[in-house]
Amino acid sequence: MLIPPFQPLFSINTLGVNLAKFPQNSANSPEATKTDLTPQLSPFMVFQNQPAPHIEEVRVNMAEMKVEDRPVALVTNVGSCVAVCIHDSNNKRGGLAHIMLPSSSVTRNKSFPLKYADTAVPALTGALRKLGKSSVALSAKTVGGANMFPNMRFITLNIGEKNVEAVKQALAAEGVRLLAEDVGGNCGRRVSFNVVDGSVRVRNGRREVKII
Amino acid sequence: MTENITDHSASKTKSVTETDAWTADNDVDLGILLELGSIGAGNAATSLSEIFQEPILIEVPKIHTLPPHLVPKFYQKHDVPTTAVYMQLRGEADCDMLLLFEVEEAKKIAAMMIRAPSPEDNDPEMEASAIQELGNIVIGSFLTALSDFTGVNLIPNPPQRVVDSFDAILDSFLIKQLLASDIAIVFDTYFKRADGNISGILMMFPSRQLQDVLIEKAKNWVR
Repeated sequence: MLIPPFQPLFSINTLGVNLAKFPQNSANSPEATKTDLTPQLSPFMVFQNQPAPHIEEVRVNMAEMKVEDRPVALVTNVGSCVAVCIHDSNNKRGGLAHIMLPSSSVTRNKSFPLKYADTAVPALTGALRKLGKSSVALSAKTVGGANMFPNMRFITLNIGEKNVEAVKQALAAEGVRLLAEDVGGNCGRRVSFNVVDGSVRVRNGRREVKII
Repeated sequence: MTENITDHSASKTKSVTETDAWTADNDVDLGILLELGSIGAGNAATSLSEIFQEPILIEVPKIHTLPPHLVPKFYQKHDVPTTAVYMQLRGEADCDMLLLFEVEEAKKIAAMMIRAPSPEDNDPEMEASAIQELGNIVIGSFLTALSDFTGVNLIPNPPQRVVDSFDAILDSFLIKQLLASDIAIVFDTYFKRADGNISGILMMFPSRQLQDVLIEKAKNWVR
């Protein structure tokens, strides 16, 4: 008995393979096996152990911010911190800021503005606006704000949630639309922000990959 | 065109310590903390040797003082999957202690502890429990050494195990440290088996209060 080939509900071509060249239904074609490269996504867009597409990665460290217009991915790891990815769709450019704390008012020393949501977000949008001159179309995606140790005392501070909230407020104040977010939970996340198309690839501590 | 904006705070470290009159600023005090840490780590290594029935080596412990947000950059282990046991110490002063293994190494260690034939055969629950118990023993013996030497009363909370990437595990502690002070004192030591195939990091984030207490008591003891 012939088993009809599995048709996914939908799929996203993350590897940049030209699907038109590899017809999915022709099982006899020698090229048919190559279609395995494309991820078969579930409706939740979560899949396991998927190799990352080949793209140069630029590491953004804690309390750092980077703006790129080369075709690269900005990469960072967040737990309770929040990664703010802002994409300029007019100029195919983007920036990522790795913030640690909600507000610069909590510490006496204010010399490191990129640590705090209320100072890092204006710095990032400012840098993108300066590079893009007049024609910028900014949109934001945020990742992080997890609660890594749910049972522990200091987490009653709920710093993750506060970070996410503070980033939202700062984005609203700057007039940047928040397109998508992957926040909360108790799992760390690896963020890979493609500055060209603005897609954010999030891999969590359980190795599940999500594209927002 | 690329614009990289980096927080060059390492260069500002000096001015921060100058404005804060901080006891642990001078080398003598750091030396005392390092010595206390060495005693604790030695004790922890002894108890590890007893568990595994073979010699466990410790590297000479190191103490690092750096701004909290530069710690992940310092270790350069961003994406490494890590198994960590976290214990919060309370009592006279607060302290966070972490025992970190790479996931594969934690599996090997757990297999040795639960007498599984190979790391792949581990029962996940047994493995989690074994690693938590290991953290309990190592951190507990570290603590015993510390309180024997200085008389500080520290009460450990139950251990908690977490598996995640190195950076994500550390960042909660770094945020906590950042709220308290602009500089983190990180004390770390590496454990190695004699054949060199298992190593782990013991990391300690002493609160400023604890540093003061430890230095005070150690100075009395030296006199």
